[in-house]
Amino acid sequence: MIRERLSDALGAGSVLYAPEDLAVYRFDGYATGATPGVVVLPQNTREVCAVMKIARDCGVPVVARGAGTGLCGGATPGPDAVVISFARMNRILELDVAHQRVRVQPGLVNLELSTNVAHNQLFYAPDPASQRSCTIGGNIGTNAGGPHCLAYGTTTSHVLGLEVVDEFGDIFHTHIDDIGYDLTGALVGGEGTLGLVTSAWLRLTRTPPAVRVWLASFNDIESASETVSAIIRSGIVPTALEMMDATIIAAVEAVYHAGYPTNAAAVLLIENAGFEEDMQQCEADLARICRDHSALSWRVATSQQERDALWLGRKSAAGAIGSLSPNYYIQDVTVPRSKLPQALRAVEHAVHANGLRVGNVFHAGDGNLHPLIMYDKRNAREVAAVVDAGTEILTTAIALGGTISGEHGIGSEKRETLGLVYSEDDLDPMLRLRNVFNASGYLNPEKIFPRGARCAEVQ
Amino acid sequence: MSAPHTMRFNPASREELCAIIEDAHSHNQALRISGGATLKGIGGDVVAHRDLSLCTFTGIEEFEPGDLTIGARAGTTLTELSETLGAYRLTTPLDAPQPRIATLGGTLASGWLGPRRHRLGRSRDAVIGTEIVLANGRLAKSGGMVVKNVTGYDLSKLYIGSFGTLGVLARANLKLTPLPQCGRGLLARLPELSRGRAIERMRGLASQATAALIIDGFHREIDGEDGTDGRIFVLIESSQTTLELHTRDTRSALGQAGIPEAHIIDHLPVHQLQRIIDAVITNVGERSVTYRVLGDPLEHRLARDQIPTTLQHLDLKTEAILDVFNGDLFLRISDRDARAFASKLAELDDRIHDLLPRAIVIACAHPLREQLNLWGKHPLAFEKMLQLKSAFDPKNILNPGRFLGNSQRV
Repeated sequence: MIRERLSDALGAGSVLYAPEDLAVYRFDGYATGATPGVVVLPQNTREVCAVMKIARDCGVPVVARGAGTGLCGGATPGPDAVVISFARMNRILELDVAHQRVRVQPGLVNLELSTNVAHNQLFYAPDPASQRSCTIGGNIGTNAGGPHCLAYGTTTSHVLGLEVVDEFGDIFHTHIDDIGYDLTGALVGGEGTLGLVTSAWLRLTRTPPAVRVWLASFNDIESASETVSAIIRSGIVPTALEMMDATIIAAVEAVYHAGYPTNAAAVLLIENAGFEEDMQQCEADLARICRDHSALSWRVATSQQERDALWLGRKSAAGAIGSLSPNYYIQDVTVPRSKLPQALRAVEHAVHANGLRVGNVFHAGDGNLHPLIMYDKRNAREVAAVVDAGTEILTTAIALGGTISGEHGIGSEKRETLGLVYSEDDLDPMLRLRNVFNASGYLNPEKIFPRGARCAEVQ
Repeated sequence: MSAPHTMRFNPASREELCAIIEDAHSHNQALRISGGATLKGIGGDVVAHRDLSLCTFTGIEEFEPGDLTIGARAGTTLTELSETLGAYRLTTPLDAPQPRIATLGGTLASGWLGPRRHRLGRSRDAVIGTEIVLANGRLAKSGGMVVKNVTGYDLSKLYIGSFGTLGVLARANLKLTPLPQCGRGLLARLPELSRGRAIERMRGLASQATAALIIDGFHREIDGEDGTDGRIFVLIESSQTTLELHTRDTRSALGQAGIPEAHIIDHLPVHQLQRIIDAVITNVGERSVTYRVLGDPLEHRLARDQIPTTLQHLDLKTEAILDVFNGDLFLRISDRDARAFASKLAELDDRIHDLLPRAIVIACAHPLREQLNLWGKHPLAFEKMLQLKSAFDPKNILNPGRFLGNSQRV
């Protein structure tokens, strides 16, 4: 019945329900959900409204989906759900160069935005590792980060306004320059539980006059992480400050030949941007700090080709791990930057104590760790060990003053651990917010909040 | 206005703060919540018999210079914050009027936006965590002390700019920015015909300054003496290495806009910026009203130019400050005496909103202030905002009358 109504509203070509079509929509980059009842591919906001109204009418929940690259089970459906894929709403609607802003549809691929505005000396700063495939809508849903968020901030700092379809299938708009509550800020990171974003005004950033990339290698991971703290402490906030350990270096070099020194225990990939004169000074300061922390080597990328190679290695690190292990699990925690050495020791302990191997590749400047824990999912012991190691890493991050997700989100993966960070009193206003925008629970149910969580007034 | 039998509360601890709010909640008593009250000119008068001042809830609770983070109680003044941070050559984007009195909590709750935000980001971008006391007296935290955090909804965004109507801010955690090595101010007279070009040239510069403001009037507040000239103030902040380069570029841009001479201020140029920020909320006795509207600087320049004509028949004085990079327009309209002003207020308010529907009142000491359209045009998604208010404060005890949907004229 719902399939027919959706086909009538959107046209048969925009509605999928053959089992082989539905199967791929069970997954995101992390989890496997149930087979959805139907997948729709709306082409405009009006169609999204129609889908929401029909789904609600039929009592079926709706799950928004970008490219399905999310890493927390945020876009995985429950049984019979309607999955709204925004793949066909992928256009740039308005480019306003004078005001450095652009209005886009949610299905636009992240990297395509920067590519399309580059000739105006502009770019879109948030750059998740999956930027070649992930979408702006998904980025807004998770408040996605990326290496360059160190200087430029995460997605929320680049969203100026939203067009949203609410749980009733009605449209509302928000803008950060409007008076009243900052609904834009509240909705970014909502993981599809507060509304369906159908277009967004985004802030574009000017391409800096000069960009420099450096690579420093170290004999041990402690020195590398202490160097990170020293750089930040010195008053330099580079545009990116990334760390990779020996496991990752070996995996990347085997596949991508990025030019990382394979004798090192850790490398720091550092990028900064600004005026050429400032970059020269910055280079001298960074070289001195790295030398003071016993760097093994210090390299300046002298050409665009060299810079691209160094970055390709970093952005492809997770994929390269595939050559070392049949499966891997990416954890995502953040700690205060000065706690990086302790956090890395704790990760190593948690993983090794559970008889597993780990590679570390992460946004060191933000204190945002991404241990890649290797395992074989056919081995039940290893699967259980991954869960145990992952939980130990979460509790350690919290003990160090950090949190359980820096940029991937909570989704279905971490909903039961949300209570490790937030008390019932802390969760209460979050639930009030959800109940204003999603009282019916039709928008992406069974996500973010622990089972049974309710706000104070309804307990 | 506070009634004679108003009860005053000055909590010094979280426990006291929570107990005061819980008691008000259980007795259905409204609370008038304030920090330094420097921005009391924004929004409606609160009708309440209980005054809750956060000015005694002060102090920096966590400061990690190496992590570039700080956590402070809501009543901490902006000056205390900036002095603590300045010792480590760090800063925040919280540029608000009267920083010696203005509190961290009040500045955030008012959503005040400073002129350096196009470089440093908005206050909403700097806040990485908050503690809020809800209407029922329960303390709830959001975010933390890490610079990247997507654990649950980003409620801090919702509290910033909510004027204490969703909860009472107890603490805020901020991420910090290193202070630039050098600062330099450029102050120049601005011929009437140069404005549009000045805006375009300044915005087009690769070496964008930290702040650029076009000022008409406000002579007594900013220059300390009377005058009639329009002027432009530019603040450049950079490394030692590039200061001269940026100065040269800025002078060249101003020159191309027909502004040949700029006076250089190398001694504490940020003080000059602060005088301008302070000026925007300064009343001329009881005979002025000041509006603020956010948006596009070029459109606002045109709107600003129309105002003397629009108000000509009312015989009022118009002063203006226009933020070249962020587009904020501040308009102070004043009369020679308060009685005459009273008879013009309603029409003045209507004319301003005809031209600038989203203009809000940020300062007015006239007794008829409450009759003004204090919040301008309803915001987008107004109904959702009312629902949020009702969900967070169902008894409407937190600053009733202050904000949207509560103000009498809305």
